[in-house]
This record gives sequence, structure tokens and C-alpha cells, in this order.
Amino acid sequence: MLPNSERLCVRPHRFALPLLIMFFTAELAMPAENSSLEDGMRQLAERVATIPNFHGSVRLEVHQDANFAAATGTGWKETFQQELEKGHITVTDEANAPPLRISLAETPTQVVLSASTRIGDREEVRIVALNRALLPATALPVASVRLERQLVFASADRIVDASSLWNDSEGGLALLVYRNSELTALKLDASGAVKQSVSLAAANPHATRDPRGELTSRGVGAEVLLPGKSCEFSWSGASDLKCRMAKTTAKSWRNTTFLLSPCDGSGWKLEANGADWTAADLLQVVPEAASRKESGALLSEFPGPVVSMNGEQNPGSALVVTRNLRTGNDEVYKITLACGN
Amino acid sequence: MMKSTKSRWLAAISAALATLFLTPGAVRATKRPRYGGTLRVELQAANVSLDPREWKAGSLSASGSEKVATLVYDRLVVLDDFGRFQPVLASEWSHDVSWKTWQFKIRAGTKFSDGSPLTPADVAAALQSLLPSGFQVTAAEAGVTIRAPRSTPDLLDQLASGRYFVFRVQPDGTLLGTGPFYAAETVPSASSESTQAAIKPARMKFRANEEAWAGRPFLDVVEVTLGLPPLRQLLDLQVGRADAVELAPDLVRKAKQENLRVWSSAPDTLLALRFDDAQPAAADERLREALALAMDRDTMANVLLQRQADPTAALLPQWLSGYASLFESPLNLERAKELRASLTANKAGGAEPLRLRVDAVGDLMKLLGERVAVNARQANLTVQLMPHTAASTSGMASTAANPAALHLFAWHYDSLSPRAELEAMVKQLHLQESPETVQGLNEPEQRFAEERRLLNERRVLPLVVLPECVGIAANVRNWMPARWGEWRLADVWLEQGETVPSSDNPPPRNSESVRVPGARP
Repeated sequence: MLPNSERLCVRPHRFALPLLIMFFTAELAMPAENSSLEDGMRQLAERVATIPNFHGSVRLEVHQDANFAAATGTGWKETFQQELEKGHITVTDEANAPPLRISLAETPTQVVLSASTRIGDREEVRIVALNRALLPATALPVASVRLERQLVFASADRIVDASSLWNDSEGGLALLVYRNSELTALKLDASGAVKQSVSLAAANPHATRDPRGELTSRGVGAEVLLPGKSCEFSWSGASDLKCRMAKTTAKSWRNTTFLLSPCDGSGWKLEANGADWTAADLLQVVPEAASRKESGALLSEFPGPVVSMNGEQNPGSALVVTRNLRTGNDEVYKITLACGN
Repeated sequence: MMKSTKSRWLAAISAALATLFLTPGAVRATKRPRYGGTLRVELQAANVSLDPREWKAGSLSASGSEKVATLVYDRLVVLDDFGRFQPVLASEWSHDVSWKTWQFKIRAGTKFSDGSPLTPADVAAALQSLLPSGFQVTAAEAGVTIRAPRSTPDLLDQLASGRYFVFRVQPDGTLLGTGPFYAAETVPSASSESTQAAIKPARMKFRANEEAWAGRPFLDVVEVTLGLPPLRQLLDLQVGRADAVELAPDLVRKAKQENLRVWSSAPDTLLALRFDDAQPAAADERLREALALAMDRDTMANVLLQRQADPTAALLPQWLSGYASLFESPLNLERAKELRASLTANKAGGAEPLRLRVDAVGDLMKLLGERVAVNARQANLTVQLMPHTAASTSGMASTAANPAALHLFAWHYDSLSPRAELEAMVKQLHLQESPETVQGLNEPEQRFAEERRLLNERRVLPLVVLPECVGIAANVRNWMPARWGEWRLADVWLEQGETVPSSDNPPPRNSESVRVPGARP
């Protein structure tokens, strides 16, 4: 669902042409990175199976932090056991079986898997380290009680705004992202794959820690509102970028985001805080019409602060951008009302 | 008439409500951070140096200095909380197949706080002065090349932490940075001697760098007050005279009981014992083993340090190495007594006790030293705690008059590279005759084996690891330091209406204001 190229930090290697070939070769020549915890566990089991004089039955003792345990699940245990059995080591619950201690730990850059056991008076330790950044994030729970929420895109880049292309033939999304401190507009197809990328560096936006901008899709192009200026471009190329000075006040920016109920056409207003980047947000969808006040607000907890909401392109749905505090990715959710559920 | 007035009121209220809900701009969908304000920070360190070249690896003073330096300087890269290296002054990087040659493209358009452009030559000069010997840093047109003497796959881990800041040395010896703030003013304490290389102020003021490459920070000013005792800092936080203070471990519970916001890092400081050869008795391996088996680390962590510390038997912490939990430290008093009995009576006995010197300042360190002596006594070993002197913290060597065989020291973990950290410990603590043998341990299994070997020699006995705890005022937003303790104050902002003006917090008496050369006027 999420394109890998967008989930990871990609560093183009184009610093110096003569070295490019060397470094490109280097990257190709390097051993493949571990891609999952299961792969790491498979490697660890293979290494454990080659410990001299280590065979028969063992009792597994697993040690890992509670937080980390919740994120890793239990699938890796089965993989580990299966791999051990290939090496003629069986896992048992018998108390008198020799213990094989397995530890999973997270360091700032790695996930360290270790196995230790004692054979006579000898301690045997095997360690495998995985690149933490390359491990896929576990699936996020999606709440869907009356208020439907769907994760439609995630990226390690900072997403400033998201706009729906629902009337475009390909559907999909248009995004305004802050990539390596450069403002870029992305056009995505319905599957989330990047189809077009337009650098807005020529708009010369002022560097800021709180990047602000709004993207509005306009047929073959889009309009971008930035502090102090308004720009237009076509998806066919950045050379078409035209900017003009525009006085931006609080009224210039998109403010209230509304959703229309598919059942009775009533209006609902989206509210979120977004003030503290360290806190998860609670999105409130509040009924606008007095007749529905008794319905109360619909609540949906997001995995991080809500930084942008946009319901302009489609009255039936809104796009909410949040910064996931657990994965560090910026995520775009599609919010719709599901009446009657 | 009454009816007319009432109608007008109703109309006015309706209009106001309509304006509130319907007029674009009246209702904000999400709240944005606020620019402005002064963040008042208090640190225990009496001195900080803004010159990373002067920092001593592992020292607590370097830890305080690094906190302040992150305001002023940037590194080439940073590590985010999710294990990803993010570009800072380097916009791109790559390495060769042997991980010996690294290329970094320097971010175009970056300026120092005085407005002058950052050049690859600046980066090369700064890093060359900081990297260990054997590394060669050369500047090219748009970037720098770092050539390592051996395979260094963890160079980014190293460059994203510790002293590896980029700066320019000015003709007067002061340093310029590209960071979110610049040093605007220092107010030295009356007793300190002001030097340009090592600033020893009582208070430092950092102003927002309007042209910072990543954007102006939200705060206008960060005011750092130094050398305040822990209790005073807690009081200042309680009464609103400070916004962020360092909390000593024994004050954390009190702060939490009083509903103050407390943030804790991963354990970033090791408290340990180190043997040296000043007393011949300490060379006996049985004595060292007896002492190791007598140490009650759980009591130290849970009682003395009030559950704010973790007992440890490893040199590197679990969060950094990933394997520290494999080292076990069984408390075995019976075995310790047996070993003691096999020694001659005068070794670590009443007539010739082992002398223990505390190599770090603070009441807690003294209490921990006393606890070590008590534990030793339970195994019939006599340990005499030496009074703390300034000389004892100035270096690791014992003073000639009272040579001590045991040192209780604090080691602050500086690097995100477990390899570099282990190398620094071995070198700085003289754990091995030739520190070169621990170099290049790139695989965790190699490091584990080396750490196991060093611990088996028992020249050093790890006791506990401590986190850094910070008390934060209620109006501070976006307080999101790294798990390993690095503060990120550029994104912090202050909620309006709850701050006490900094003018309410007068500078120390007999002080004078001094401008820092090189800062933006």
C-alpha cells in the first residue's frame, strides 16, 4: 500500500561524477540489507545452529522491552524455531532443558538480536544486528466507528498539505512536501505511487521550522499559497511555475474544514489542536446544524499531531495530514462519514 | 423599547456567533506554534565551553557544554528518533565499498550567524580538528571528503553525535556556528576568569538566528544559567523562575509528586569503579573479584538513587549496544568472603585499607562512595573514602600524597557509535596498554567479546547507569529531545500568558555583561 521509496530516506548519489560510478558500484557490491525481523531471526538461528556441540532440545527464554515487544509481535518466534529445527535443535517447554536466551533490543540505529547459552563452562553468544530504519513499521490500527479513516499515504518527508484529485481521471492525491528543505509538489495516482514531481524551489520560499502552504488542484496544474506569495504551475514541468506577491493574512488560509453527511446532507466541522508536535491529536468531527447537536462529536485519535486538514475538493471526504510519533513518518488519512454504521 | 433592545442584543449575539463559525479566519482548524519569548534554562554545570575541541570524552562537563553548543552549531547529519539519518549541513552523502572514503555535499546557501557563507573549507577545518588521528578531511568545490584509516561504516553515527559540530574559528579565537541561535551575551560569575577559549559564565544568552538555514527558531532568546544546585533549580521551576531545569535523581520523585512535568532520557551516565596501580594490593585479581561480587547494585539503584538508575554490569548501556543485558552481575557475598579469606590479612585490611577517591562532584557521588565502602565491609574488605578535592576531579591520576587504588567515576556517553564510545572509554580510562587493539570493532559480536574481556580483567567495575532528568514548565511546547539526551530547542515554543518575564530573574550580583565576539550585532 505504501511505496517503499517514499517510506525511506533516499539519498541520491550525485556529488561528483568520477566518484559516482565507484559509489554506485559500492552500493551494488554491498551485502543486501536485512529487510525484516524474520530475516534477522533466520540469520540468528542459522548462527546458533552452528555453535559447536550444541544440539538436542533447548528452552527459549525471551527478553525484550515491553514497548518493543508490542511492536514486534510474535511471528519471529515461529521463524526462529523453524530455522533451529532445520539445524536439528528442537525447542521445548521442559524445565530441565538447557536455556537458550534470546534478546531483542533497539539501539538508536539498529535492532540487535542476540542468543546466548552455556555449554559446560563456556558461554556462547551470537549477535545479529539489523538496520533499524529499514525495518517496516507495523500496521497501524485504523479506527472506523461511524467516522471512517483510511491511511492513504505515508512518507519520511514532511508533508505540508494534501489535496484530493477526485475529479482527475487517475484519481489520487496532490501533495505539498518539504523534502530535504526544498518545497516540492507531488502527484500520486490512486495506488499511492508518485507519478509526477515538481520542485517549487524557484518560488524561493523562506526557510522555516513551521512550513506552511496550501495546494489546490486546478485541472492540469495546481495553485500553491505560500506565506506572502501565490504560485501556479502545471504538472508538466517546473518551468511553468509562476508566482506573484500576495498578502497572506489569517483569512487567506484555509480554515474550517467541513464534511457533508452522505445520509442527510448535514454539515460536520473538523477540529484538531495540532499545537504540540509531541502530542497525539484527537480529531473531533462536530455537527454544524443545531438539529444534530444532540448527536455529539465523533472522535478519532491520530498517531500524532494533525498539521493540515483539507476538505475543499470533495465535500464527502477530507484529507488529514498527521505526523506519526511512533514511526516519524508524515501520514495522509482520508476521512469520510459513514452514517448508519 | 425593551423589545427593540432585546432584539438588537439577539441580533448582535447571532452575528458574533455567525462570525465565529462562518467567517474564514475566525476559527483556526489547527493551532500553529508561536514565535517569541525567552526560554530560561538552568544547568548544574558551573562551566561550559563552546569550543568542542576542548571537550574531554566522557566527562560530565562535556555533556553540559554539548547541550549549549547544540544551540549555536550544527552537525553534518542528525539521527532522528526512528533510526534514520537526516541531512543537516550535508545535503547528500555517499561512501565507497570499503567504507573508508566518505563524500559529503555541503548544503548550498548556508550562512554562519554573522552572515558569512559556510564553505567546504570551514567544514573540513572543523572536522579535522575533532576527528581522531588518522582521519583526513579535505575540502572540494561543493563538499568534503573524509578518509578514514580503516573501515568505518558507523561514521554517520559518530558525526551525528558528541563533539562533531561544524564551526569557524575567528581571528580572536572565538567560534562561529550556523545553528538556530547565536551566543549574544555572557554574564560571568564574579569569581571566574573570563577567557576566550573556555567561557566560564554564570549566565549565557542566546538569540534567535534569523537567517538559520532551517528557519528561525520559535524562541527569541534562550537564557542559560549555570552552576545552580539541584534544589535551587527545582525551586526555580516551581515558582516560575525557570522553564527547564536539570533534576538530580533524588529530586525526580519530589518533582513528580508536585505534578511537575519531568522528562527522562535513556541512561546516559555510567557510575563505575576503576582500579589503578597506586596501591599494590589492588593488583590482586582475587581482591578485585571479591569487591565485584560484594557490590549490591540493586540497592544502589533502587534505594540510594530512588529507582531513577539501573544496575549494570556492562560498560556500554543497553540502549546503545543492544547486548548489555547479557552481562550479569550476581551479588555473591559468600564467594566474596571466601576470596577475601584467601588473601593476606593486611590486603584491603584495617592497617592498609583500599583508598577510594570520588572523581566527580556531588552529594550523590559521595553517598555512592560510602555505599561502596559499606558493601566492601560486608565482604571483610576495608575501603577508606578519601575526601573530595579539586585535584581529584582534574584528572584520573591519584595525587602523590594519598594514592588511591579505587576511583568512583562518572562517564557520560557522548557518541551514538558504540564502537567509538568503547574506544573512547578504553583510551580515556586507561583500560588497556595499547588502545589500538579495540579499534575497528564494527560488529556487535566483536564488541561484546571485547567488552567481556575488559570486564573479566576487572580494571573497571560498572555499578549503575543514570538517565538525564529534566523538569519542564507547563507552558513549554514541542519539548522533544532525542532519547539519548540531546536537546532540540530550535523547535520549542512557549504558550502565551504563562511566562514570567526574564527581568524578574535578576542576574547575580557583582556581574557584568559581556558581548561575545563574532555574534550578530
